[in-house]
Amino acid sequence: MAGDATRPAPTSAVAALGALRGGSDTIAAIATPPGRGALAIVRLSGADAEQVASRVVAGWPTPARVATLAILRDPATGEVLDEAIVTRFEGGRSFTGEPMVELSTHGGVVTSALVLGALLAAGARQAAPGEFTRRAVASGKLTLTQGEAIGDVIDATSRAAQRVALATLDGGLARRVVALRDALLEVEALIAYEIDFPEEDDGPIAPARVSESVARVASMLDALLATAPAGELVREGAVVVLAGPPNAGKSSLFNALLGQARALVTPIPGTTRDAIEAVVDGRSWPLRLVDTAGLRETADSLERLGIEVSERYLERAQVVLACAEHAAGLAATCAWISRLTGAPVIEVATKRDRPEAEPVASGSAALEVSAETGAGLDALLARIEDTLATALGAPSFDAPVVTRARHLVALRAAREELAAFATAWSAAALPAPVMAVHLRSAVGALEELIGVVDTEDVLDRVFRSFCVGK
Amino acid sequence: MGSHVNIEATFDVVVVGAGHAGTEAAVAAARLGARVAIVTSALETIGQMSCNPAIGGVAKGTVVREVDALGGIMGRATDLATLQFRMLNRGKGPAVWAPRAQCDRGLYRRAVRSLLEEHATLATIQGTVARLLIDEGSVVGIETLEGRRFGASCVVLTTGTFLRGRIHIGTETKLAGGRAGEPPAVHLAEQLESLGLQVARFKTGTPPRIDGRSVDYSRLERQESEIEAFDYSWSHFWDSPRRAGETTRHPRQLPCWITFAGDEAKAVVRENIGRSAMYGGAIGSRGPRYCPSVEDKILRFPDAERHQIFLEPEGHDTHELYVNGLSTSLPVDVQLRMLHAVPGLESARMTRAGYAIEYDYYPPTQLDATLQLRALSGLFFAGQINGTTGYEEAAGQGVVAGYNAALRARGETPLILGRSSSYIGVLVDDLVTRGVDEPYRLFTSRSEFRLTVRQDNALRRLAPVALERGAFDEREARVVERRMTEEDRSRDLAERTSIRPEQAAPVLAAAGSAPLAHSMKVVEVAKRQGVSLLDLLRAAEIAELPAAEAAVTAELEIKYGGYFERERAQAEKMQRLDAFPLGGGIPYGEMRSLSMEARQKLLALTPATLAQASRIPGVSPSDLQNLVLEIERRRARASG
Repeated sequence: MAGDATRPAPTSAVAALGALRGGSDTIAAIATPPGRGALAIVRLSGADAEQVASRVVAGWPTPARVATLAILRDPATGEVLDEAIVTRFEGGRSFTGEPMVELSTHGGVVTSALVLGALLAAGARQAAPGEFTRRAVASGKLTLTQGEAIGDVIDATSRAAQRVALATLDGGLARRVVALRDALLEVEALIAYEIDFPEEDDGPIAPARVSESVARVASMLDALLATAPAGELVREGAVVVLAGPPNAGKSSLFNALLGQARALVTPIPGTTRDAIEAVVDGRSWPLRLVDTAGLRETADSLERLGIEVSERYLERAQVVLACAEHAAGLAATCAWISRLTGAPVIEVATKRDRPEAEPVASGSAALEVSAETGAGLDALLARIEDTLATALGAPSFDAPVVTRARHLVALRAAREELAAFATAWSAAALPAPVMAVHLRSAVGALEELIGVVDTEDVLDRVFRSFCVGK
Repeated sequence: MGSHVNIEATFDVVVVGAGHAGTEAAVAAARLGARVAIVTSALETIGQMSCNPAIGGVAKGTVVREVDALGGIMGRATDLATLQFRMLNRGKGPAVWAPRAQCDRGLYRRAVRSLLEEHATLATIQGTVARLLIDEGSVVGIETLEGRRFGASCVVLTTGTFLRGRIHIGTETKLAGGRAGEPPAVHLAEQLESLGLQVARFKTGTPPRIDGRSVDYSRLERQESEIEAFDYSWSHFWDSPRRAGETTRHPRQLPCWITFAGDEAKAVVRENIGRSAMYGGAIGSRGPRYCPSVEDKILRFPDAERHQIFLEPEGHDTHELYVNGLSTSLPVDVQLRMLHAVPGLESARMTRAGYAIEYDYYPPTQLDATLQLRALSGLFFAGQINGTTGYEEAAGQGVVAGYNAALRARGETPLILGRSSSYIGVLVDDLVTRGVDEPYRLFTSRSEFRLTVRQDNALRRLAPVALERGAFDEREARVVERRMTEEDRSRDLAERTSIRPEQAAPVLAAAGSAPLAHSMKVVEVAKRQGVSLLDLLRAAEIAELPAAEAAVTAELEIKYGGYFERERAQAEKMQRLDAFPLGGGIPYGEMRSLSMEARQKLLALTPATLAQASRIPGVSPSDLQNLVLEIERRRARASG
């Protein structure tokens, strides 16, 4: 188009809009996990979802929002693929906000894959991971924090993570951030009143009134920020490192603990030299168990590499299981660990089923376990949980928790701006309108989290609180 | 058709109304070389101040200087008519200094009229405009009640409170009137409505006025003028700067007087609230929250012990005082009892009663960013007709409409002032993008750029725009240049000059700042809180000191440059969105990835750029993203 050459390139604007951009072509994907099951769900969403579906679903259109039995055919060959329950959602009344179709096919890998293939042949595109949710956010059906929480629900590795994710989905975090923003706007309104209405009945604002309001917001922010470590634990799991000399039975214990917990979720493969991780479902926290290479002084550079990996894990451990067969081994291991971390250490005397096992000295805190017989495993798991609870406190599921790096960054930015404002205010070091830049930046950081911006809000507060105008 | 017969004369721009919006529109258009006519019911009322006789205040004072930087007359007229001056927010630092001048109404009016008449291509015409002449969806002229017809490429309507104005005093008295003693404009209002424009009603009010000779001044607090070396306008005296202490530019200064409405006056209002036009049900329209009537103040803030009242002189030629703070629509007998309940006014004679006035306004979301009506090309609206309040807000819009009417007549690209450039830019953008739900007034809080958009740097911000559009003659252009150079020279002097501890000592001591240990560059010392750059330069014995006003601008940059940078970065971000043009002809209705509300709002408002779209209430960030994608996709399709 000739006219386009004279227009400024829109790319900068696209860049300014940032990472949230989603497409609006029509996407399709299998929504249920792969594997055997009675049913599989294939989803289709986008402006042309109806058109795509009409090429595959016999008797289209089905009534909106009514589950309807229908024959699915390959659009090219006309071959019958399955008999499925089809539900049609109109734009604006679906999960993504776009026209959507959900097809409940018979289970198994093959049928659902055939149906998906048919939809792609009919004009849809394979959805990228998380794209349905992204569209729901883009259409305003979900707030950004809610959208992220859905991602967390899908990724949730334990009951604890799922509960926190669900609480966020309720808008708990969004509500807290909105409340914080409101409180900050109140302070901004005080400053705005000072600047915009210098001759009013109420006279100047007492400096203490601003300081107190700021202190109140700061403590609210701190309370929310304080949940960040817990949030990370909930998402990542508490790191529980098994450490000890080579052949102390760590790997057997690791496997036995996984078996005992009966909730293996994500085994992460590794070589014997590297650490092996697995997340199991703990009572309050997910536990990220890490089996590490044996600790000993060695000249072997290859083995040394493995030990360095172990040490790095120890540095970020929330709990360490010091494992050894003998008292001497336990002592050496504890000494080694204490050089690297202050995390609580649980001493574990391993291989207690062996006849040659030396009895644990009376007064020793070491727990006796046998990976072979399963003896002591329950007690060990309980001890891990208790130790975590003592060190970290119990997670609180009714209060929202900061679980995302993005939230943390924004909240910290807001906190820093607020601190800068408070410092300047108490020293009266800058004119109020200059200091107010910090307040605005703090509000801006929060607004980026919840996606609202409106300077009118400040004025509304001024007019509500003060009698202004001559 | 009949439109073209009996045309008395033809102009590029005809301005209807000669208040603060109309006079600025006419002058701006004339400065751009347009042939202009300004038509008003009574030439004697050109530049009339209908309400409070003050110009300026917080944010508003900055607008006056912006109007001035664009070649407007409000600042010049004020400088010639000021009889009381205060720099508000003085204690909060020069970044938010806000000049406010009480004016002699008569002097102000006469100054405005003679400033209009400085322009040879500007004709003043007395007449009440009865209707617009319209041809094929465009305005082509106007016709007055007297039957005079004038052709025009563009018409600017600045009707103030005159469109179907109705004055209320108590629940019984209703008078048709555009202002006390003047008839409303009815025919024009009916024609505008018949064009299918959306119309609504606002109300505003004014307080009673009293005879100063009936006031007991012994009971009042006296407020002296802070007259000083301050001029709103860069223009008229800049090339012959005033000598120190000389204040002859202004008429003799007069004091204001402060009293209050206490329990007694409050009781009078409360007992008679049912007889107020606003509370008794006679008026349904909405008034502003920030300039409330005394009824509003007392009912909405019952805990407030007292409400301040300022008695402001109306002029040198009269004893009449304006009772600022007692705006009311109570009946006259109650107004008088209320006045008499105020300390110092026990035996006050009321010269004029206060009243509330209801009038038509046209929701400004019907305008584009040049203040031209989208539905009827060539027709511009400015001032209270757009739902604003305040002389300064009216003047700012007048300048924008005047520039754009002249530019349209010349076939040139329109002038759109951005939010980061000026309060006028904020004002116009707020009006056409968000609309109004109460009479709109500017506050610093409405701007995202409170620190960088200041009264002291208006010329630097806007004079380049005026110069580029040819609003200044050569002499004026040189004066502007000098003012800018002076600012740069201040900065330069600060960077080059060293100051010795003993030189700086008195300046620092006065500011409560620690003495210097050794000689330093002035620029470093000027960073300190409360330390004036000009004082430092004087102490450092600079031979030719920069002009005080230019030095203030330089000083602010030195002190708060880091903070200013933050706003500038924000402004740049906004400009990136502004660089994404939208304009007309975009099929928002078909964009199904946008929310229904966003589609409707975008269709109704047709924002010029993505930045403007981003400020429309109801258009969410996700709507914006989808909008960009939809447009990109359509462009790709169109070019592929």
